[in-house]
Amino acid sequence: MRKINLETAVGLFLLIGILSLGYLSIRMGKLEVIGVKGSTLFAEFGAVAGIKPGAAVEIAGVGVGRVKSIRLKDYQAVVELFIPGDLKIQEDAIASVKTKGLIGEKYVEIAPGASDKFIPDGGRIRETESAIDYESLISKFIFGKV
Amino acid sequence: MNLKKKVLLPLAGPVAAILSWLLVLAWVPPVSAGEPTEQVRQTADEVVKILRNKELKRPEKKEERRRKLRQVVDRQFDFQEMAKRSLGIYWNKRTPGEQKEFVALFSDLLQNTYIRKIERYESGDEKVNYLSEKVEGQYAVVKTEIITSKGSPIPVDYKIFKDKNKWEVYDIIIEGVSLVNNYRSQFRQIITSGSYEELVKRLKDKSKNE
Repeated sequence: MRKINLETAVGLFLLIGILSLGYLSIRMGKLEVIGVKGSTLFAEFGAVAGIKPGAAVEIAGVGVGRVKSIRLKDYQAVVELFIPGDLKIQEDAIASVKTKGLIGEKYVEIAPGASDKFIPDGGRIRETESAIDYESLISKFIFGKV
Repeated sequence: MNLKKKVLLPLAGPVAAILSWLLVLAWVPPVSAGEPTEQVRQTADEVVKILRNKELKRPEKKEERRRKLRQVVDRQFDFQEMAKRSLGIYWNKRTPGEQKEFVALFSDLLQNTYIRKIERYESGDEKVNYLSEKVEGQYAVVKTEIITSKGSPIPVDYKIFKDKNKWEVYDIIIEGVSLVNNYRSQFRQIITSGSYEELVKRLKDKSKNE
């Protein structure tokens, strides 16, 4: 009897361990657990300067979502944004790729607009600003425009 | 095989002719100049014409020249839409009267800032290249590039939309920076750290000092 008890305990322990690991990887990997309600928006940029899936989407500095995927279409970067909850984005909102500090991580900032129309789920943010190439701006400034 | 050749060969000549003719018809120059590009080009050409007019370059004609530039720019730019977009979420909180006043202040600000900038380009060596145009429904982007007299290109994108029958500019993106977004973040900062009245006061002061 005692032997079975020990084996059950080990099994239980292992199971709890695996569950904790799963929970951790979901939390740390910032994976959206299936079933989270929200809307998906797309934005096209001329340059995204290496933004990664999982990067933050912010409005007024507040995280409102994440970058789900990035792909290339007609030599333009198409970024898929996932915004959980029922936050609505105006049609004339501007999405821009920004950097935290000069060399910090990249994120997408959305500047809300004035329109009374909202972008539907799966729609596209028409107004975008590509990542600013600080290096080329600085070098233009240092070496002067030719 | 032989039979096929026999049947097809007599047709080959005319078919090739028709095909090549169709190709000629379908051929579009790499930069297709559509209606939006044409309108931007017209405005740019008129601005350059005014800038190069020697008669208007005389100091006593300065006001007249400025007035003419404003007229040309006014026709192509939708200042109402630009002002609305720049104020962002605060636009709908204002009364129609306040909105009207804001549009007037904002267009003064833009014209003072930008016409003054344009005026400085006097050498007349600048060239505008029209790179591409993308139309989507009533919205379009015209990508251009201004080659300065020193030869370095400045990318300028015009965001335009069709209002009734006319294409009107609602945003300009210079070196990747959106004019509307620039003002949107500045206005937001002034309004959140002060008030809307503070913003109006600043805009009024600015147009007075110019």
